[in-house]
Amino acid sequence: MALENSHLPPPFEELMRRHEREIMRYLLRVTGHREDAADLFQETFIRAYRAYPRINPDGNLRSWLYTIATNLCRNRARDSARRSRVIVQSSDDPPPDALGKSHCSPHEDAGYAAVRMRELVSGLPAKQRQSIHLRYFAGFEYAEIAAAMGCSEESARANVSQAMRKLKATW
Amino acid sequence: MKIEDLVGLIGSEFGDEVVDELLHRVRRGFDDALNLIRRPQAALGVVKSPLGNLLVATSARGIALNHFMDAGSDLAATIAHLRLDFDPVEDEKAVGEIGKEVRGYLAGDADALRHHVDLTLAKNPFQQKVLRKLQDVPRGAVVSYQALGAAAGAPRGARAVGNALHNNPVPIYVPCHRVIAAQGRIGGYGGGLPRKLQLLRSEGFAMDNAAKRVPDSVVWGHKVTRIYCRMDCRTTARVDRNRILMFASPQEARRAGMRACKICHPDAPA
Repeated sequence: MALENSHLPPPFEELMRRHEREIMRYLLRVTGHREDAADLFQETFIRAYRAYPRINPDGNLRSWLYTIATNLCRNRARDSARRSRVIVQSSDDPPPDALGKSHCSPHEDAGYAAVRMRELVSGLPAKQRQSIHLRYFAGFEYAEIAAAMGCSEESARANVSQAMRKLKATW
Repeated sequence: MKIEDLVGLIGSEFGDEVVDELLHRVRRGFDDALNLIRRPQAALGVVKSPLGNLLVATSARGIALNHFMDAGSDLAATIAHLRLDFDPVEDEKAVGEIGKEVRGYLAGDADALRHHVDLTLAKNPFQQKVLRKLQDVPRGAVVSYQALGAAAGAPRGARAVGNALHNNPVPIYVPCHRVIAAQGRIGGYGGGLPRKLQLLRSEGFAMDNAAKRVPDSVVWGHKVTRIYCRMDCRTTARVDRNRILMFASPQEARRAGMRACKICHPDAPA
């Protein structure tokens, strides 16, 4: 006689095997930095392990992992912003707004386009930035984005569409 | 190219080999960190017994959970509770041994329950203490809620003892069926009264399913003097009831290392 699956979630190791590549890729994408991604990856799964007994086994485990990763990225960004506030922005770096339309159209090279798109995205407000990562990398529905970001479905939708409008305008 | 596709491109400068290399690099440190907070693994499965299906969890520390599956309690909640302290893995084979022990025990083998008992799932230190004290009550004897409370340091805590038994994570192995109400009434049982009576019958008490009290044939054994008496012995009127175990028969009392009272001669036929 076997137990029903709904009662017993998969072992943590299996959950990790299933999603580790995807989460690592997501963290690389969001941070753009290998060391940061590796750190956050470890922290994400340690937190996930701690909280694993308390989550509903019927729930969406994938989006739950993304939620943890997203929150950790947000914490990391906030803390490093706090630390670097004293550093005066160098006049060599143009502020994000200056990276405007005038900036040629190098669209042929995908690698370059990716880097430039990252620059544009990193100029967006944090909520909009996270929303579009979840939407266009993880492929989340708006309801899942809302759950991951702790906001309503309407504002998730608004965040994504405002971000896309801005990106279209500056690209 | 659409702007959505361009947004999707972010991070594509990190190829599969970068992801693989990072995962490889992180894994070692991660395993070390995880081992520091890892919960013990427990084999979880369902075993059949004459008392119905049991949900059983065992780990290296012993049997942690033995749950009557049809007792009207929520299975999902039970497993959720188990998961707070253990990482359960479904393993029918590892828990099969428990089924064998329970079947053997009900068939009359007094030493069948060989697994060590792990009280991790008991709710608090008091309940843990009650359950540990209860393990000293031998097969063939019963004790009252009040006397068990006294043994656990709470002589006025009969109801708290009842709660502890209600939350007993390992019934049968921790013999909460051996606890009865004062004055010899049967009391209740988390797994349902018929199970309590069935267990007590297998331990030598002559009771059918309609029984309301322990039979008059029980003898009273005093835990300190190690003497057992008939229920109507004149010494029982002034004895401290918190020190009494009720045995199914004089033989059971002798097996527990007690001697017969020289006033009421409990061994002589009534």
